[in-house]
Amino acid sequence: MNLNIRNREETMRILTLPMAMLATTAMTAPVMAQDLPIVDEPLELTVHMHWPRAQGYGPGGDTSVLYPVEEFARERTNIHLIDQTSGRNTKDNNEAMNLLLASGDLPDIVGGNRIKQPVNQYGPEGAFVPLNDLVAEHAPNIQRFWDEHPGLQAAISAYDGNYYYIPYLPDGKYGRAWFVRQDWLDALGLETPNNVDELYNVLVAFRDNDPNGNGQADEVPYFARDWEEVLRLMTLWDARTSGSDTYHDFFITAENTIAHPYAQDAYRNGMANLAKWYAEGLIDAEIFTRGSSSRDYLLGENLGGMTHDWFASTSGYNAALADKVDGFNFIPFLPPESAGGVRMEEHRRIPIKPDGWAITYANENPVETIKYFDYFFSEEGALLANFGVEGKTWNMVDGEPVFTDEVLNSDTAVNSQMYLEGAQIYRGYPQDYRYEWQWTAQAARDGIELYDTQDLLVDQFLGVAFTKDEQEIYDRYWPTIQTYMLERQQAWILGSGDIEQDWSDYIETLNNMGYQKVLEVMNSAYARQYG
Amino acid sequence: MSSDFDTAGSPATETLVVNAKESVRERRAAQIQRVGDHLKREWQLYIMLLPMVVWLIVFLYKPMYGLQIAFKDYSIFKGVANSPWIGFEHFQTLFSNDQFLRAVKNTLIISAYGLLFGFPVPILLALMFNEVLSQKFKKTTQTIVYLPHFISSVIIAGIVITAFSPSAGIVNTILGWFGVDSVYFLTRPEWFRPIFIGTGIWQEAGFQSIVYLAAIAGVSPTLYESAVVDGASRWQMMWKITLPSILPTIIIMLIIRIGNILEVSFEMIILLYQPATYSTADVVNTFIYRQGLQGGQYDFAAAAGLFNAVVAFILVMTANAISKRFSRTSLW
Repeated sequence: MNLNIRNREETMRILTLPMAMLATTAMTAPVMAQDLPIVDEPLELTVHMHWPRAQGYGPGGDTSVLYPVEEFARERTNIHLIDQTSGRNTKDNNEAMNLLLASGDLPDIVGGNRIKQPVNQYGPEGAFVPLNDLVAEHAPNIQRFWDEHPGLQAAISAYDGNYYYIPYLPDGKYGRAWFVRQDWLDALGLETPNNVDELYNVLVAFRDNDPNGNGQADEVPYFARDWEEVLRLMTLWDARTSGSDTYHDFFITAENTIAHPYAQDAYRNGMANLAKWYAEGLIDAEIFTRGSSSRDYLLGENLGGMTHDWFASTSGYNAALADKVDGFNFIPFLPPESAGGVRMEEHRRIPIKPDGWAITYANENPVETIKYFDYFFSEEGALLANFGVEGKTWNMVDGEPVFTDEVLNSDTAVNSQMYLEGAQIYRGYPQDYRYEWQWTAQAARDGIELYDTQDLLVDQFLGVAFTKDEQEIYDRYWPTIQTYMLERQQAWILGSGDIEQDWSDYIETLNNMGYQKVLEVMNSAYARQYG
Repeated sequence: MSSDFDTAGSPATETLVVNAKESVRERRAAQIQRVGDHLKREWQLYIMLLPMVVWLIVFLYKPMYGLQIAFKDYSIFKGVANSPWIGFEHFQTLFSNDQFLRAVKNTLIISAYGLLFGFPVPILLALMFNEVLSQKFKKTTQTIVYLPHFISSVIIAGIVITAFSPSAGIVNTILGWFGVDSVYFLTRPEWFRPIFIGTGIWQEAGFQSIVYLAAIAGVSPTLYESAVVDGASRWQMMWKITLPSILPTIIIMLIIRIGNILEVSFEMIILLYQPATYSTADVVNTFIYRQGLQGGQYDFAAAAGLFNAVVAFILVMTANAISKRFSRTSLW
């Protein structure tokens, strides 16, 4: 089920960027001064703002209350956002967007999560305003961001070459990491595994040598919350599992073309080894059905030995389980060297999200609106969008924004507090990693610093925009092919098929199902957009 | 041609025609009068009927207008009326897809098995409840079998996944006592249908038995009294009185059930299936969910949905006709 939701994410496929430009890390350069307020007389703009934490432009979706950030922004810009959100009774952003579009009554601004697909589909049809010229003429801060991060603007463009929304741009490089029970390694007198063979020995020892000391062989050496994370093990044999932060996605080959990881020879080899590990009981036998609570359960019951999961949330278990599991120490370690001698962390934060906001055709003040969007890319506006109102939730200390003790020591997570302030919501803005770093657990900070010592990350797909004809080909063939790929994949892991024997049939079937045609449209769209 | 019949233009015929028309007019006026009187007399009934009619029109008939998107290249922004027609293209795409055909096959198989094993169970339950003498025992067991109906599918799926878990599940634990190696049931295509259908029966059979209990309660007690006088056993009474009396209910329920044959409860399938079990578990609705709604392809999904509805309609009409013929019980 998880899988379906994830795959639904984007029809706009994904595209890559050279590594260097991926570091969207803190915008520190001084920012062009903006003429504030933007308008002399207060200007009211209606806004649709639908995202998981709030269905409506107000704290937690309560539109009768103003966000403190909105109050502050009103004072500074004289632009007043007035809520006009559709689908406030559903949390499904797709549904809300469809309601909005079908109603025909568009507000001035449409914002929220996953707006890229609808905006790029209906923008060229006339529902949304193309932003290229508006930004170039009236939004110096946004333009500067594009200039400093080449490739991102192309990544959000629709097939007509225009772009139609200002995205939310996450900051920070690392997403998921390899975690191991250091206290188990210590108990068994083992070193942190450095390569795939050492990792194998560690997992075998976890299975056989009773590291939790309860006298039963109940340890689960490798587990994962999302079953797709078991596939990451294949990167240890130089295969790929996805080219983006969406599972099962296309990737950029060494020849700078697009291909799918599950049709590569490296995949065949990786899968054969993965199936072997599964058969030997090194991987959670219930990996496909254990579900999202498996991390809570297996760590809480002192059963799980190793996983691949998010830095921040996984490190949090050290504090949460300190009293329950004696000596619990679950820490990140460097990706083991692959069979081919490469250390690689396939997952990373995506530098650009399908979330943000757009200007509709109904908006009579597009210039003022883009200036308002630009405000949140200025130094003052970006701080406001990241940390809330200065003096209320944070203060400038030695030139750094620092949350107040009240915010940091609250029982409520910092991000949840920010959502109620109107900061970190899904407007278009550049995220500032300093916001997250301040409340990241020590184990995760150590891990991130460890990962930073190496060059681990790989190029990432950020999506291609199809023309109507290309989209048709893609829609016609791809979902079926992917279904087939996943069916075979699970069968191989579970041992009800042998990849070495099945491989040539598998590739032939893929081609019969139209894999080459999909590659063709992928590559033509890719060349057009990034060529 | 004989002149006897050649009277079309004669004055007599004209008078006749005029008279006939006149009488129709009079009759019509009388009819309107009668309808008016009827409405005046029974208006409360029509007021009570009104909400249901409005509901039908708003939620079932008006949406049919949107069905046309199955034949269109639909864009939400352009709207239903302004999207261009593309004929049967979506249907061609659908039927050239092996996975869709597999989904149709799976739907029919799951439904057929569900009907075969699932349909008789509530009837048996109702008959059994009817024979229970202790009221306390009857109420307790009824509550127990009704209960799963009120639990959300998500929780039911959680219970099923846990019960069939290879490491801690009760099913594998019991199999283990007999020396059987644990089986990862939910990734085995051959086990998906039994588990899914069994779960459905467990969840719904109790609740469905209420209809039959109600039908049994409606059987005239005098029939049983005279049967007792004639010395019939409880077994005979069940076969000769209870079952024949509730047969019309059973048949109506069967027709309804057949009409829903393609409506496999797909949220349950989504919660239980895996790519590993798609080969037996993927039904039309889950196929639509995965393929059609992935990229907001509502037109494509509508085509698949329309196909579903047409098949269901044919099935209901067939079942109805067969039932009319052989048992004289029918919906129409």
